[in-house]
Amino acid sequence: MAEYSCLIVEDSPMMRQLLIFALARVRNLRVTEADDGVDGLRKLASARYDIIITDINMPIMDGLKLVKRVRSDPVHQATPIMIITTEGSQEDRQRALQLGANAYITKPIQAPQVIAKVKELLKIE
Amino acid sequence: MTAEKKGRLRSDRPLSELKKERETFIQTFLRKGVQFTEELVSENFKLRQRLAELEANNATLKAQVASDDAIRELLKKIDALEREKVTLLSRFEEVEAASSRWGDQYHEVEGELANLANLYIASNQLHGSLSVRTTLLRIKELLEQLIGVRSFAVYLASSDGRSLVPVLSGGIGTPGPIPIVAEDGGIGEVYSTAMTQIERGALRHGSVDRPLALVPLKVEDQVVGVLAIFSALEQKSHFMPVDFELMKLLGSHAGLALMCARLYADVGYKSPSFDGIASENS
Repeated sequence: MAEYSCLIVEDSPMMRQLLIFALARVRNLRVTEADDGVDGLRKLASARYDIIITDINMPIMDGLKLVKRVRSDPVHQATPIMIITTEGSQEDRQRALQLGANAYITKPIQAPQVIAKVKELLKIE
Repeated sequence: MTAEKKGRLRSDRPLSELKKERETFIQTFLRKGVQFTEELVSENFKLRQRLAELEANNATLKAQVASDDAIRELLKKIDALEREKVTLLSRFEEVEAASSRWGDQYHEVEGELANLANLYIASNQLHGSLSVRTTLLRIKELLEQLIGVRSFAVYLASSDGRSLVPVLSGGIGTPGPIPIVAEDGGIGEVYSTAMTQIERGALRHGSVDRPLALVPLKVEDQVVGVLAIFSALEQKSHFMPVDFELMKLLGSHAGLALMCARLYADVGYKSPSFDGIASENS
């Protein structure tokens, strides 16, 4: 059975923990955590991931910059990216989708919703 | 006439005439024999033809009967298959119904698991730090990220218990919340009665004056403060069951977590000695 890898880029430990709990329901999905955009890029430099989940509002490097950097990198430009936004940040959401993000979820996140989106992006039945 | 006379009369005919008569008779007899034989042959031929026709008809009828038997067999098989189809459809419907029930139960369990995960994470995060600042930050995150709160304030009782001081707020803007007199207004009422007030219907547009939820913060049975939720995110139409549980958890754990963090800061972030803890509690 295929094994998938996921990079979560999120500055809030609570959100990371929540995402990890949700994604534990997806079989054969290995999760790696990053605290912010820079940490995310560092992790991306040393490994390939099947999907990236990133928050938009983060210190040091936000999610929008991360999406832009990932899409300009030939190694990761085809990797599906899902962004996490709040309902008030429609501009950020549009901007992220324009930059190449594939999907978004809105806070407060619901585990079934996260699982469904990740499965959809990874094309898992 | 005597017999003698009669015999003379026959014998009186000339021999040639008798011969001729005999020849004629023989020829006539033979011709009739030939004619009869020809008729017999012709009749035989006709009978053979008729027999061939009848045999052909017989073969056709036999084939038809065989074909009818095959049709009857097929009809029987169709009937049997129809019955099997009905049985299978009935079984399929049963399986579908069972599958649907299992699906519903699966989603229910998944939902429960997600809710339990939320509660576990909230509890874990609340008690995961002994820094007042971090604990306050985590309470804020919990409210915003897990419940979907837009504006809120956390009030803690002053040392004399006469006022409630805001120690944390979000989404209110400036100026932020101000200290209030204990027992004053809705917040004071919740502080003095320890009774939770939560909007259970559709979430209206809440405000500082008309909060959506007021939760007493307790340490054991003592109320040490109040959590006030003034408004929720736009997409949140109702508080969900897990939100009630999270608020309940905040009511019983947030005050405790803050008190522990504060006490730890007061003792200069020194770990207490656990020497003799077993004998003291035995």
